[in-house]
Amino acid sequence: MKSWGFAAAAAIACCFGAGSARAQAWSLADAAAPYKGTSITVVGLDRPSYKIAQALTPQFEKETGIHVTWNIFPYEDTLKEETLNFVSNSQQFDAILSDGIWFVNFADPGWVLPLSHFTSDAKLADPALDMKDFFPIWLASYTLGKTLYALPFDNYAGLLFYNKAMLKAAGFDGPPKTWDELANVYAPKLTDKQKGVYGYALQSARGETQTADAFARFMWPWGGSFINIANKTVEVNNPKAVAGIEFRHSLLKSMPDGIVSDDHSQVVELMSQKRVAMITEWSAFYTTLKTSPMAADLGIAPEPKGPAGSFSAFGGFAYMVSSQVDVQHQNAAYLFIQWLTSKAMALPLIKGGAVVARQSADTDPSIQASNPNLAPMVEAWRTAAVPDWRPQLECYPRFSDIVSDWGSRIELGQVAIKQGLDSMAKDLSATMQSSGCWGKSNDAEKAMRQYQ
Amino acid sequence: MRDVTQQAEPAMPSLPAPWRQRMEPWFFIAPSVLLLLAIGLYPTIYTLIASFQLWVLGMSPPVFGGLQNYVGALTSSDFLGAVLRTLVLIVVTLPIELLLGMTIALALDSPNFAVLRRLLQVCLVIPIAITPSVVGLLSQLMFNEQLGIINVFMRAVGLPALDWLGRPIAAFGTVMVVQVWEWTPFVALVLSAALSTVPTDIDEAAILETERWWPRFLDIQLPFLWPGITAALVFQTAFTIKEFDMIYSIERGGPGTATETAVMQIERTAFRSFDVGLASAESILMLVLSIILARVYIRAFYRELE
Repeated sequence: MKSWGFAAAAAIACCFGAGSARAQAWSLADAAAPYKGTSITVVGLDRPSYKIAQALTPQFEKETGIHVTWNIFPYEDTLKEETLNFVSNSQQFDAILSDGIWFVNFADPGWVLPLSHFTSDAKLADPALDMKDFFPIWLASYTLGKTLYALPFDNYAGLLFYNKAMLKAAGFDGPPKTWDELANVYAPKLTDKQKGVYGYALQSARGETQTADAFARFMWPWGGSFINIANKTVEVNNPKAVAGIEFRHSLLKSMPDGIVSDDHSQVVELMSQKRVAMITEWSAFYTTLKTSPMAADLGIAPEPKGPAGSFSAFGGFAYMVSSQVDVQHQNAAYLFIQWLTSKAMALPLIKGGAVVARQSADTDPSIQASNPNLAPMVEAWRTAAVPDWRPQLECYPRFSDIVSDWGSRIELGQVAIKQGLDSMAKDLSATMQSSGCWGKSNDAEKAMRQYQ
Repeated sequence: MRDVTQQAEPAMPSLPAPWRQRMEPWFFIAPSVLLLLAIGLYPTIYTLIASFQLWVLGMSPPVFGGLQNYVGALTSSDFLGAVLRTLVLIVVTLPIELLLGMTIALALDSPNFAVLRRLLQVCLVIPIAITPSVVGLLSQLMFNEQLGIINVFMRAVGLPALDWLGRPIAAFGTVMVVQVWEWTPFVALVLSAALSTVPTDIDEAAILETERWWPRFLDIQLPFLWPGITAALVFQTAFTIKEFDMIYSIERGGPGTATETAVMQIERTAFRSFDVGLASAESILMLVLSIILARVYIRAFYRELE
């Protein structure tokens, strides 16, 4: 019996030893040696995370000999550029950037490779990758069925940014905890239209801003949702969603008049110029606000709670590998993505203004001390975010277009709220039916269980 | 001295002379015709074929759908609304551009104020030289209700600030103002070129005959201006139908769909919703509308000089 125990212990030690030896043996330079001289093309956005990623890329190039070309697009054009790349099989891009709402469009037709394609290859997979270090909600957001496709990079949560001095002058010591408080206690005291000063501003421009920022933000905290995949029903006109959008309408009196045409940049600029006391914006805008004229008074808190609880806006990106390029480029692209999203790179990226979804870095007290956007962002990802904040559908572009169209009309007062939401629901149902989209939808909430 | 003609003769000895003579013009025009076919006709034919297909990028391969896309386009309130806005933009801005352009062209034609005329000529080039997307971005900043310079001036002279971009009618009006600013110089230059074709002797005789500008304009200058007016109308209509960058940069067709023109709606259908079939049908319908309008202008305004 004793000898069996010894043998088992030896076997376990041997396995661990081998593993540890493998971990020690693996190096990026060795893994990249077969791909030295390969040129890969990476898609990026014109945002802070990609600027610092570009600045750090020469380190990767020096270590691996792989040449990296960044193709930077505005957010609005990225889906179009990547879709056209795939449809025409032009093989322009090797590392594909995907918003959480695009990845079904890329994964379902087989345009990108499952992550296991690379992580199961001992020569490529970094033993220190530590998948459990990524926030579960981000892995769930890029899991189709049970297959993970991407490694997260440039990840956001909605936060409440406020001007401490303006709140203090109005008699408030801290930010509002609930939407009701924000609308009925804070905003009236902070709004002075004669002076052109407003309590709150909501970015509402037509397009994804209207859908993700202006519409979803007032639906989830009231208990509403876009769709019910199991029942195949559109839910945007249910009484809870109607209540949320009615609340949004009541907030308009505390906002600047032209808000329906304002996008992120205008709302952040209004806050920078001390014309608005509170905004709810993506965590990534901390980088802009911390260098603005109101930086000294900048306060950051989680988004206010609604009647149904805490629901922060949830959005961001991840990198995948194109299946259309040759194996040489696929492997080189994977090595780059693995390096960019590694634990080791998290700190330099955050220091440079990027936002990453690594628990070890985002929860590190020393890093949080110098980045006050991190603590509320982590809180949102852990307790107040849903992965299907916007549904993951293959027909999402059309879906979002309909939401944005009717959402804008409602906000402009061109149509009554209930009537507008009924029309939105009717158009969404028709699109879901006619495009066969119910069968091409992903239940990201279900995937959460896989990672918890 | 070498006889070049004689030396060139043996270049195509096997071809009989009449055949070569018949083919020679074709060889000259072939490169430009082939180029035109490649860059002009091929995309049009491709769009025409796509317009009969049910084709959503990434969701399914294209299948023949007959006239479904055309029926879809002609019964879509989105598309019809966008076409209507495009037509309103043409109907309102074109006469203003013509009127202002004509005034500027006549001022440039005047023998007085030489320095001012030269300055005006330079100023005319500026709006044409600026990229439309930059015009849009500048306009977005200038007309912003809270931060824009236009409202700063209005407040300075005691007028109330206006929400130029946040209200549908005001936003459409803003787009019209920017459109007129951007394109009036082009109309002025076209009409100025037309005015320069007025024979000097006839013009001088008219000046000796009467000091009043109106008879001179009506009987001498206007007949020479008609071809220019027709060209300006045709070009400006085409430019307005195609206008995308400027309006998109101002507010992406918003608020709501208040400033969304037909070409923006087509772009949205093709590259946001990825419905290539429907977008192609809408493009063909807009092409037909452009051709009809051009024919109407030529029939109504074009006069051959006698």
